[in-house]
This record gives sequence, structure tokens and C-alpha cells, in this order.
Amino acid sequence: MFIPFGKTTINLLIGRGCSKLSTIIVISEVKMSGQDQKPQKNDSENTTHFGYKTVEKTDKASMVAGVFHSVAQQYDVMNDLMSFGVHRLWKRFTIDASGVRPGNTVLDLAGGTGDLTAKFSKLVGRDGKVVLADINSSMLNVGRDKLRDKGLVQNIEYVQANAESLPFEENTFDIVTIAFGLRNVTDKDKALRSIYSVLKPGGRLLILEFSKPEHELVNKAYDFYSFNILPKIGQIVAKDGDSYQYLAESIRMHPDQETLKGMMENAGFEQTTYKNLTGGVVALHKGYKF
Amino acid sequence: MSTFNEQVMHQQALCSALEIIINKALSLNEQGTEDLTRLSQKTLTIILEELGFPLSFSVYTSSKNNQILVTTISQSADCTIKTSIKTLIQLQKEKKLTELIKQDKLDIDGDIKTAQGFASLAESIDIDWQSEVARHIGDIPTYKLSQLLDKLCSKLSFAAKQITADASEWLVHEKRLVVTRSQIMHFNSQVDVLSRQTNDLAKRIDQLTNLMAETTQNKKPHE
Repeated sequence: MFIPFGKTTINLLIGRGCSKLSTIIVISEVKMSGQDQKPQKNDSENTTHFGYKTVEKTDKASMVAGVFHSVAQQYDVMNDLMSFGVHRLWKRFTIDASGVRPGNTVLDLAGGTGDLTAKFSKLVGRDGKVVLADINSSMLNVGRDKLRDKGLVQNIEYVQANAESLPFEENTFDIVTIAFGLRNVTDKDKALRSIYSVLKPGGRLLILEFSKPEHELVNKAYDFYSFNILPKIGQIVAKDGDSYQYLAESIRMHPDQETLKGMMENAGFEQTTYKNLTGGVVALHKGYKF
Repeated sequence: MSTFNEQVMHQQALCSALEIIINKALSLNEQGTEDLTRLSQKTLTIILEELGFPLSFSVYTSSKNNQILVTTISQSADCTIKTSIKTLIQLQKEKKLTELIKQDKLDIDGDIKTAQGFASLAESIDIDWQSEVARHIGDIPTYKLSQLLDKLCSKLSFAAKQITADASEWLVHEKRLVVTRSQIMHFNSQVDVLSRQTNDLAKRIDQLTNLMAETTQNKKPHE
């Protein structure tokens, strides 16, 4: 619910009935929607950002959950529409960069509707295993139904898990991927440490995530697209413009390429590199555990 | 930092297109995709000089569907072939595999049976295009279309022959830019005759030189 208040808007998110974003009440003061909004970077120990809003750390997970419960059914269609199908190439690039082999054990974290899992499942073969993990039950259900419809059943496990505290033994996986999921995690450093722990020595983490475009012109065009067009597509297709407004904001609040690389190194990853894709709109970070 | 090629992901676009085309062709194959089960879990990697990156073809089989996955991952290949597109065309036409390997134009590393399996799979693909087209546009339009294509093919073939003949006529007789085969043969025979005459002359010079040397030696004791 958006209530105009002078030059600003009081944003009330009260239950599912209002904006589908949350099941709890959050009151925050933000400027008018769109590019004019200024991100609030006053994160303290107990607060974090949810798009451009500052919220309690304990609340973010449920707010993000609200977004994905809302968009789960239209997630794949929206991905194709929003990226003009290019997300398929970004994911292919991730799989090619993973160097996956038959027999590998792969964790597709925040795996959502299972695009990466489907490919990994075929490449690791009968001797390998893929775990599709997501914090959101709706996304996991959509993913499970989709993969089962494709006949992919023999080497895939489904786990509802929080990236910050992964419920797996240490040194379990050869590869961990997290595609378009890390920016929604409340404590990214904790999640990176948790991923590091479950990777086998020699294993690698691949993070595919929206990032900072390299050129100013691309950045401006991208800003215009994300704040003006994307929420409208979301409103028409998924009947939820607010969730796609959050998407645009959360991308801007996500650490840029170098910052994320530093965070990976701080978590213990070695030989950390990143590759910008489509002018830096998306970046693929890769790091090893030795 | 990323290269331009990585940024535009042309490798992934090519893999994606190949995967769609190959699997569509396999699904239309009259013999079905049963041949794929023999190659289950096998990977063939082809490194073409012209591309500069590997293309790996992995066979995935399940009870529901069989398909080939195309990636650029080369580490887990059962067989790796390093060659060029030119050599592959040569191989298809002349079938001289051993000769091409000896000439270092083709390098095969790994299980050759995997490569043979993929080759025989490619050869076995037989698609009834007319039936497929008929399913979409109907029998009569398909018949008309195939007639049109046959006519077009024969006309194109005739045109190609005509263009070749006209071009050689223009180059050889009108512009005199290229010599004819008979002119080359005449030139070659003239070179042969000249070569023989030069050899004969050289022999005669040698004989005369030897004769002069002998004459000079015979004269010396009398002096």
C-alpha cells in the first residue's frame, strides 16, 4: 500500500493482502518510487536492506520469501521476458565454467525452478548427484514439478535450506552454484562461509548474479529499463509489480564485482576470479577451496 | 576481466543452437533415438582450428528421453578429436582416415570407438522431410513444394554449370587471362624437348673436354 505524504510516500506492507511482499508489518519512509529513490545504506548490526528499504535482519528472509511465493508460478516466463532469453546463455556460461564431470556432486543453491539442476543432472550422470536447494518452498515445488515432468528423477534431491546455515556435512560437494540468489541472502558473508564449509577440497563455487555494468551509458539504459519497464512487465505478467520493483532495487544494493570478489576471499576462497557478461549486467564469480 | 567473446557468449549461443538442431534432427530420425543408448554417458570433444574452443557432445539417456548435450567442457571427454573443418570435409569425401592422421591433419586422443559411434549415429540419421512438412502444411502443398524444389535444384545445377563454362570461355578465349590445358601440355612438351637438347649439348661438351684433355696428355711425352 503506497500512501502519498508530501514529497515522500509512506510504504506500508501489511500482510499478504496489501502487496504480497510480506506477511509481517513493516513501516518505512521512502521517496517516490523509481530511480529517484535513494538507497539507504545505514546497515547496522541488526538491520539490513530489503531493496532500498532498511529492515530488521530477522525480517528480511520472510520478506524475500513473500516475493518469491508471489512470483514462483510465473518465474520462468518472467525470466525470459525480462532478459529477452539471455538468462539461458548466462546459465550455459556458468555450466561451461563449472567444468562439471560425470560422477560429480553438485549443490544448486537458491536453485529456484531448476534450470541449472536440469543441465547438471544430465552431465553428472547416474554416478553423480545434484541437490537442488532453495529457502523458498514455492520455488522448490515449482522446480520439482518441472524437473519431474522432464523425467529428471534419478539423481536429484530437493532440500529446503537457508544458504547461511547449510544442512550438509563438511566437504560434501564438488561444485556449488548460486544463480541470482546471493543478493537475497540476509548475511552474505555467513552464506559464503557456509558454502566454503560444504565444498570438498578442490571444489569450486560459482556465483551468477546481477552486477554493475561497466559502461555509464549501459548503466543508464539499464537503470531506465529496471525501474520503469521491468515493474510494469511484472505487473502485467505476474500481477505483481512491487516484487519486480524489489528486484531492481536489490540488484543496485548488491555488492559490485570487486567487492564480492573480496568477500569470497575473506570467506577463504582462493584463485577467485570473475567474468562480466553482457557488459557487466551480470557477473560470474568463481572461487576454489583448496 | 572478460574478453569481448565471453561478454557476448557466442560460444554458448553456438552450443545452444547446435543442441537444438541436433536433438530436433534426432527426434525426426526415422530410426528413433535408440542408437543413442549405445553411447550413453559418452562424450566426444571436437576441437576445430577455426573455432578456437572445444565443442563437447555428451549423450544423455533416460526412460523418458534421449538427447545430446552440447557444451564447451572438454575435461571429461572419452574421445577428443583435433582437426579443422577443411579436414572433416576431406574425411567425409575421401574416407582416408589413416592418411589424414599421418599428415597430422587429424589428431584423435582417447577411445576411438566413441568417435566411431558418433560417426555412425550421424550417418544413420534419416529424416523423411516430406512427411514432416506435410504434417504442417498438408499433402498437396508439400507435393507442389517438393516439385518446385526439384525444379529449382535442377535449374541451379544447370546455372552453375553454365556459369562455369561461360567464365572459362571469357577467361581463356576472350580476355586470355588463363591458358588452356592443351597450351600447358604443349608448353610442358617444349620444356621437355629443350631439357633433352640441353642434356645432349652438355654431354657433347663433356666429350669434347675429355678429348682435348687426352690430346694434350698424348702430346707431352714427344716433347
